[in-house]
This record gives sequence, C-alpha cells and structure tokens, in this order.
Amino acid sequence: MSNYIPTIGVEVHVELKTNTKIFSPSVNGYGQMANSLTNVIDLGYPGTLPTLNEEVINLAIKACKVLNCKIRREMHFDRKNYFYPDNPKNYQITQFETPIGYDGYVEIEVNGKTKKIEIEEMHIEEDTCKSTHRKDKTLLDFNRAGVPLIEIVTKPCMESSEEAKLYLEKLKELLFYSDISDCKMEEGSMRADANVSIRKNESDPYGTKVEIKNIGSISNVGLSIEKEIKRQEKLYESGKSFKEQTRRYDDKLGDTVLMRVKETGNDYRYFPEPDIPYVYITDEMISNVEKTIPMLPDERRSKYIDLGVSPFKANKLVNNRSLSDYFNTLLDSNINFDIASNLLLGDISGYLNKEEKVITDTTLTKERFIDLVNNIDNNNLSSRNLKDILSKVLESNSSIEEIIKTSGIKNITDDSKIREVIVSIINNNPDSVNDYKAGKDRAIKYLMGQVMKETKGSVNPKMANEILLEELNK
Amino acid sequence: MLDKSIKEINELLKSKKIKPIDLVLEAFDNIEKNKDLNAYITLNKEEAIKKAKELEDKEVDNILFGLPIAIKDNIVTKDLRTTCASHILDNFIPIYDATVVEKIKSKNMIIIGKTNMDEFAMGSSSRTSYFDAPKNPWNKNKISGGSSGGSATTIAAKDLLFALGTDTGGSIRQPAAYTGIVGMKPTYGRVSRYGLVAFASSLDQIGPMTRNVYENAVLLNAIVGKDPKDLTSSNKEVEDFTRLIGKDVSNMKVAVPNYFMSDIVSDEIKEKVKDTIKLLEDNNVEVDYIDMKYLDKAVTLYQVIAMGEASSNLARYDGIRYGNPTDNPKDIEDLYLSTRAEGFGDEVKRRIMVGSYLLSGDNAKTYYNKALSIRDDMKKEFSKVFEKYDLIIGPTTTTTAYNLDEDMDDPLKSFMDDVLVIPINMAGLPAISIPVGLSSDKMPVGLHIIGNSFDEATIYKLASFIEKKVGDINE
Repeated sequence: MSNYIPTIGVEVHVELKTNTKIFSPSVNGYGQMANSLTNVIDLGYPGTLPTLNEEVINLAIKACKVLNCKIRREMHFDRKNYFYPDNPKNYQITQFETPIGYDGYVEIEVNGKTKKIEIEEMHIEEDTCKSTHRKDKTLLDFNRAGVPLIEIVTKPCMESSEEAKLYLEKLKELLFYSDISDCKMEEGSMRADANVSIRKNESDPYGTKVEIKNIGSISNVGLSIEKEIKRQEKLYESGKSFKEQTRRYDDKLGDTVLMRVKETGNDYRYFPEPDIPYVYITDEMISNVEKTIPMLPDERRSKYIDLGVSPFKANKLVNNRSLSDYFNTLLDSNINFDIASNLLLGDISGYLNKEEKVITDTTLTKERFIDLVNNIDNNNLSSRNLKDILSKVLESNSSIEEIIKTSGIKNITDDSKIREVIVSIINNNPDSVNDYKAGKDRAIKYLMGQVMKETKGSVNPKMANEILLEELNK
Repeated sequence: MLDKSIKEINELLKSKKIKPIDLVLEAFDNIEKNKDLNAYITLNKEEAIKKAKELEDKEVDNILFGLPIAIKDNIVTKDLRTTCASHILDNFIPIYDATVVEKIKSKNMIIIGKTNMDEFAMGSSSRTSYFDAPKNPWNKNKISGGSSGGSATTIAAKDLLFALGTDTGGSIRQPAAYTGIVGMKPTYGRVSRYGLVAFASSLDQIGPMTRNVYENAVLLNAIVGKDPKDLTSSNKEVEDFTRLIGKDVSNMKVAVPNYFMSDIVSDEIKEKVKDTIKLLEDNNVEVDYIDMKYLDKAVTLYQVIAMGEASSNLARYDGIRYGNPTDNPKDIEDLYLSTRAEGFGDEVKRRIMVGSYLLSGDNAKTYYNKALSIRDDMKKEFSKVFEKYDLIIGPTTTTTAYNLDEDMDDPLKSFMDDVLVIPINMAGLPAISIPVGLSSDKMPVGLHIIGNSFDEATIYKLASFIEKKVGDINE
C-alpha cells in the first residue's frame, strides 16, 4: 500500500499587520465587538471606492524579500466575481494577472538535508467578512472585511506531511520575524489549504488533486495530509477513481470530509479593477523596505552556534523573538555566550513567564546583563545564588556587584574552605566512595550534590568538582 | 428671480435685497408647476428650506452661495433618498455624501432634489427609470434623453439654474442636446467619482448641466479637484474654467471628423452644424474636415467595457446590507435570485447578463482586454488630432429628441442614440453640448465640442463665443 508517492502543494493566507485595512481607513483589528471596525467602503455601499493602503504594498514587498520572490514592478489589481454573503461587493479585489511576487523559495531541513520549497506566486487581496452560522440564520461580522491578506502558493513540490509542516513552520517564523503578520492560526491570521495527490512512479502524471481547505493548525495540516494520502491509496488499491474535490479536516473525526466536488472550473470572471490605477514598484521602495528587515531566524541560529551556543539552545532562543532580539544586542560583546544563553532560557525565562513580562519590561540593560554573565563566568556568583538575587537583578537599577555585595552572598572561592567541607563529606559517605572506586560515576553526582547542599550552593561548582576528584583519588 | 444672471442674483443676495429662501421657494414653485415633466424622483423641500434659513445669517462668500441645485439620483446624498431610479434601491437613504455633494454644500448651494434618470444610468431616454420617464419641456410627447434626463428637464424647464448629471456614454451631453441646454462631461479624473453609484467605473464622470456656458464653467469650478478617496481622480491643479470665456477665438483651429457629418446624422442637424462652421470661419476660426480611425468602433467597444464593468459593479445589490430584499427567501440562493429579479428592470438585467457573458472564462481576454487595448489606440488617435487642432466639433446627436412612445424593444437603438458621444468617454476627453438652433419641429439641436485632456477651458472659450453669436434658441 505504501508504494505511492504523494505530491503536496500548500496555499497560505496571511493577514498583514497593518494599522488600517487595505482599501479603507477602518482599523485592522482582531477580537473587537462585531461590526465595530467597519465603514461604508468595507460594507460595499453604493458609490464607495477603494483607496490603497501603502503599508500593504510595503509589507508585501517585504514578504517577497524574505521568501526570495521576484517582485513585479508594474502590477494591478483584479476583481474576482462571485456571490457569497461574506463578500460585501460580491466581488473580491485580488491580484490575478500580476501577482506582486513570483518564483520564490523557502529552505527547510528534511532528514539532515536542505530542501527548497518553491513558491509559485504571492499576491495581495482583501479578506472577506466572518460569517457565523446559526440554526436558521447566518451572522456577518464585517470587522474582517477588507483586512489585507497575502496568499502564498507553493508549487506541488512536497512529498510528505512532514515537509508540509516544516514548510509552514518556516514560513510562519519568517513572516513573524519580519513583522509581516502575527501568524496566529488560532485567530485566523494565518490559514492553510493543502493540495494532495498521489501516484505510483515519478514518471506517472500527477494523480487526481484533492484540496483540503482551511486547516486550523500546523499539526492538523500534517494529520489531514496523512489521512488524505491513506484515503486516496485505499481508493486506488480497490480500483476506484475519484473526482477533483474540496475537503475539510474534521478534528473530532480525525479525517477529511467532503465539502464539494469540482464539476467544472470556477468562473470568477476576473478583470482588471478599474477603480485602482496600476501600481509601480520602484527601486527606492524596495530598498526602503529592505532596511526594515531584521536578522532572520536562520542567520540568528548560525550566529549563535558560532558563538558557542548549542544548536538546541540556539533554536530555543530563536523561538522566543524578544529573547532573541535581546540576545542579538550582545553579539559583538566579548562574553561567555553559553552562560548568557543559559541565563536567558533558564532563570530569566522562568521569571518572565511567571510575571507575564518580556525582557524589555525589566531593568536588565545590556550592560548589566554583561556584568551578570561575567560575574558568573568569573565564579563570583553561582547559579544557585543567582536565584536569590534574581528579582533585584531584574527589578532594580543597582549594579550587579552592588547587589551581590548587599545580598551577603559570598561565593566560597577559598580553596582550603572548600577542601575542608569536601573531606568531611568523603568521610561521612564511605559507601559512595567505594562506589566511585568501583567505577560508578553516579557516585560523583551524589557527592557533588552533598557539597552543594552543605555550602548552600555558594561554592564554585567547577572548583569543587576538581577538589572532590583530587580528594577521592588520594 | 431665477431668470436673472447669477452675477445679478449674487449682488441681490449680498445687498440682502433677496434671501436664499426666495430662490428656494421659487424653484419649488416652478417644479410644482412643471410636475407633469416628472423631472424629480425625490424632493428635498423641508431640508432645503431649513438650509436656506440657516444661510440668512451667513456671509455671501461666493457666487454660488444660496443657489438651488438639483442632483442626479445616482449621486449619493446623506440622509436624502438615492434610488438610481431602481426599485432595488427605492428605500435607500445614504449615510454619507458624495465628494461632489460635499463640495456643493461647502459652497452653500442648496440641494432641491434628486433628478430622474435611466435605471442605474443605463439607457438613453430615461425610460428605463422605475419612476417613469421625464418629459421634454419643448414637447411633452418627446423624451428628454438620458440617462441624465431629469437634470436636463429641470434646467430646460427653467425650474432652477444648476444641476449635476453623470456621463458614462453621453448621458450628460445627449440629453443636454435634446433639451437645448449646456452639458459638460469633464475629463475622466477631473471630478471625483466617490459617491457616484458606479455603472462603468472606467468611463463614469460627473459634470454640470446649466442653462448657459458661463454658469456651466462656474459650477465646474466648484466640483473639481483631486480627491484622496478616488484613486482615479487627477491631481491636476484647480483652475478657473471661466478664464478664457469672452477671449478672441480668431486663429483657433478646429477639426470636424467626417464620420460626425456622415449619413448617420440627419440632414437637418448637419445643416445646423454647417451653419455653425460657417459662423466660425467667418470669424477667422480655421475649420478642417478630417478622417479619424476607430470612431465607428466606439459603440462596440463601449458595450464590451461598460457592460463588463456594470455586471460586476451591480453585483453588490443583493438586499443583504441595504436596499430592497425579497420577502421570505427560501435560502441564500433564492435571496440573490428573487431580490435581483424583483429589483432590477429589464435593461439593467440585459446588461448584467451580457456583461457577465463578456467576462466569462476566456471571453474576458477575447473581448474585455481586447476592447481596452483598442481603446488605447483610440486615445492615441485623438491625441494625434490635438497635436494640430485646438478642438474637435460635430453634432451631439444624430437626430433630435424622439417620441416617448417610440419602440424600446430594440436594445441596440439606445446605443446608436449615443454613437457620436460615446467615443469621447472611451478616450476620457472633456466635451460639451451647447444648443445651436431648432429643427423644423421646434426641437433643439446640440453642437458637440470636444477638447484635449484637461483642456475644458478652451472648450468653454469656443462654446461661449458660439453661444453669444447664435443667441437664445428660444427667440
């Protein structure tokens, strides 16, 4: 059964993070009272005309840049005509003939290899209004009508649900990092459709295409593609064929469900939007946008790793945009980046989560953070002791030295004092000493734990470890 | 009072010898007397009187101050019903003003009412109106033309001095010609379309309809300008369109395309135009007959572009957010079908159907896109003429106004009424119709003067000269 090759293409709608809507001055916002963010243009009132929000063009140019798309310099909008209650003018203003971006790609890592996911095109369009179906009526919320979207369409170039998920994660990271969109699938600011077909051999033509619409999360994209591949395999294996169709993923059922069979191609009667003149994208517009693109995730990861941060931690940092931005401010300082990343991901993250703050809400300036890292690096402060002074570090403006001094923390760096404690512990734990001599490494950990307990964590662990080994090997 | 010149009226207002309310009441009296002409769909009497009284304490700060104006019913007016002469909008009360209406109000003009028209401006005799056709004041058995038939009627009947019309394929100039008034279609982009209910977006333009050329230019002065709400409005600097009126016309160069004087035009009209040409030549205006390509293709191109755009522009009338939905629809499909079947008249339905067909599948490429490209060629053809000539002239219509009861079943007839005016919309150029005489059956004949892009001032210059020479066609 599993000797089929799946072919997968993904279409993603992303709401752009603009202040106002694409064609009207209404606020672009989420979670507001229904129909409070609308005006006559969003409602398609007679006589209204669209204006064009420049922010949208700039964000779309930015998206082209981060997704390696070519940018069309002369473009226009088109009308897509269809009747639906969520479509206030009964046409949607979109780009059909001249999408702003084309021939782009995103790189993902699959099984240790880099694969380019090719982007066929990216176009700008307006969102529809949100409809809520009740028993005998449909409620319409026009707050979403006219929210700017970009639609990003890949070529049918993915061969597994894993690749589709990795692509979406990468896409989300890139668009989020470059401030193009919130990319919150749960709020609908990022929505994905997957096109799935299967065939026996690479040389065969593509199989019948099934579109899975509006999948609510990246993990469901994976699950729905897997289910759909299995469903199609079963049909082919039992000698059945099927028509091109649109399905949706039912979370409760854990399977895809038929929405409609495509009888003939939809006739959207596209034609150039006469109310919006051609848009010309200049070199200047592009270079202005380029200046606003921050360092992207892949570059961040490799920089961090080069500075001595483990790949795992580098990834964790990048997953937290505000921490990563903070970390970026340190990149040209000469500090122990392993300690710096530990601090940010460990105690500091714990504090921030508990307090529901981001790092820029704290008093930890770059200079104080560097001091903190150096104090730990120089054994003036143990991580155990850091916990006791953390709130002062993050909430006051006192220097790190001052805080250490006034907190009465004294790191025992006196060799003889540490040795005194260690000798006494060795004497009190003969069993562990025997275990160690029998080659059980676990014993070391236990003894170190005892040392830390005895000294309340105020010894430098590295130093204590060395002395412990010295004493044990005597 | 309303038979005086606007300069005189302005002086009387300034010296407080008359008040705006006098003008408003006089206009309503006239409209009442001419009620059978059916020029209006909705009157704004209560508000107009209120506004006139408010103005009594205000300084008379411009020449249009306190003057009544009629607005075609496809231009939205806040709190004043705007129907587009359609059943589907016959209960529609807009919550905003069109940009031109804001401008009119900022001049303290007083809106008297909304004028009758072809449904959604689709027609050339105003007979597709849901509210019955207006009648021609020259002969009540005849049409006033269309689609701005109501605005033309109220000016020709001398109810008041100012009206706004709209012109997608001749809808200001053709009724102006049929009723013997002055109607200007400005350059596309000159006047904001924000608040003009769209018929064919790439062609629609609002313009002034008045009893004479000077007043026409004055009203145009008041409504032009770049509007940030209309991306197709031009940022050409605002100018005074009266500035060339009365200036010497000798040595101007005028072209007459042979097509405009071909046998599609009635002999009687050609004679009147020839008289005008003679008059110009006698006054040292150089007049040449020229050949122009594409003019005979304009109606076909127009049908493709206008109906294609209309089919999309009129999609929004589904009764969901405003308008007149059907009672008790079975489901959403039925809501769309029944609301639109009940709400639109035959001509509108015909154009939506043809337009939808023209944009369907590959047809968009075969027809709409091709029409747009030929249209560009047509623009270039006009540009070539304007390299050598200041203006183009010809008749506005092929015949004078015909009978109201003439057959409406030939859908092509209505387009052929506009065969001489449509090319100008295709090229986006400004053009005016002014009366130059009467036919043997005492119906007005209009002269069409076409200018280069954004050169309305030169049109007014020649138009006012001819107006002065021809004199009042009533006399």
